[in-house]
Amino acid sequence: MTEKPAVSVDGLSLKYRLYKERNDALKTALLRGRRAVYEDFWALDDVSFEVPTGSTFGLIGNNGAGKSTLLKVLSRILYPDKGSFTANGRMAALLEVGSGFHPELSGRENIFLNGSILGMSRKEITRKFDEIVDFSGVSKFIDQPVKNYSSGMYVRLGFSVAINVDPDILVVDEVLSVGDAAFKAKCANKFVDFKKAGKTVILVTHSMTSLQSMCDQAAWINQGKLVTVGDAKTVIADYKKSVDESK
Amino acid sequence: MKYLSELFASRELLSNLVMREVKGKYRRTVFGQLWSLINPLATMLVYTVVFSFIFRARPSVGDPSGMNIYPLWLMCGLLPWMFFNRVVTGGLNSITSNAGLIKKVYFPRMNLPFAVTGSTGYTWLNEMALLSVVLMVFGAFVLPWLPLVVLFMLLLALFATGLGMALAILTVYFRDAQHFTAIAIQMWMYLTPIIYPINLVEEAADKHGQIVLDLYRLNPMERFVSVFRQLMYDNRWPDLADSLWCVGWAVGMFVFGFLIFKRFEKKLAVRL
Repeated sequence: MTEKPAVSVDGLSLKYRLYKERNDALKTALLRGRRAVYEDFWALDDVSFEVPTGSTFGLIGNNGAGKSTLLKVLSRILYPDKGSFTANGRMAALLEVGSGFHPELSGRENIFLNGSILGMSRKEITRKFDEIVDFSGVSKFIDQPVKNYSSGMYVRLGFSVAINVDPDILVVDEVLSVGDAAFKAKCANKFVDFKKAGKTVILVTHSMTSLQSMCDQAAWINQGKLVTVGDAKTVIADYKKSVDESK
Repeated sequence: MKYLSELFASRELLSNLVMREVKGKYRRTVFGQLWSLINPLATMLVYTVVFSFIFRARPSVGDPSGMNIYPLWLMCGLLPWMFFNRVVTGGLNSITSNAGLIKKVYFPRMNLPFAVTGSTGYTWLNEMALLSVVLMVFGAFVLPWLPLVVLFMLLLALFATGLGMALAILTVYFRDAQHFTAIAIQMWMYLTPIIYPINLVEEAADKHGQIVLDLYRLNPMERFVSVFRQLMYDNRWPDLADSLWCVGWAVGMFVFGFLIFKRFEKKLAVRL
């Protein structure tokens, strides 16, 4: 039985326009009569790969290589200029924790707010509410406004909501590094459970150790282009080699 | 169709965003939601003193209600205007002030301007309810007209939201738009018969030619304000031409704002 890939990316390209000067002001547009002068910069250039269902898929590459841009395209925040991707299953993105938290509202109210921003229904949130609060470990302060939370508590609550969205495909950007050691261990366990349940994770991280321990598949991106894709160990080894060589 | 069904599916998000605005706004204040009533009352007081006592604006007596109370006449026009002003200004800022959210999470973006309309509409509903009670205490027979009042409130909400959405997009590209809009709205208010009666303009038209009044009445907000007064202050069927004018502008402006927003929303995350 050949399973459909969780995500197949087909020739994704995305360009940023680099303006010679800021074009926010009406003035520039009016003075020039037409559009301001710009240069195209291809942050993603014809990237194609497939993410097998049930795999943990890592994206690696130097800063500015286009990893985060790729994640944002997969999260439907940015729209590609060329190419497309298809996802089989419900997809959720975790690029930031605590999105849309209102500081004056209580933890409880913010769970519902944040959950619905991440695409959960009210019923779903109510059902998972206890689990979310338990996982975050802030149950004592759940009716306090979140502006009184410590930054660790704030992030933990945000992460707990996000991890309970329970998608088929989870897209994660660098957020694994939240909370104290105990919370990190909890998160790592959650990802293991996730994998056991046959779900797919796509993640970007600069920590080679967490990449090596978590990922079975990886793609290496450099200057918007795909270098290699495949078994995580090989890709990571290739990437490390090139980093060592350029030193 | 897919776009609309996705938008409809996110209605819980919309209600949560509205709740965020409504609950967050007056947290930690002693008077809480009362502030949303104190504000229009203070404005009413100022305008009544200045325009009724000092400038002696004399609106025509309510027909057939027989009402002749300037502050109440004023509020029938001022409350819709204040709603319009807050929705347009809030809608305009809804994208730029939520830039962080737009860059980090996907959700149907239209919920942001809609949430402004929802939370402002909630306040407006309270204000209009209070005004209706006061009007009834002073002898206006508002009750049978309330369904129509609500209908025109919805039409004004469509009109204001459409304009707010279009301006929200413009603001992302040209930040000047928010400063320009602030000035334009202020002028617009004085071009609408809210604090002075339209018969002053009619007098001017008699002197300088009908064109003055014709131009003046192109303003859709003039029609909205008239309809609200006809319903609440005069207690009669709204003028048919005024009503059609309101419906046309409301639908037209909303469709315009919707299409502009839909066309440009995909580029928002890059431009913010």
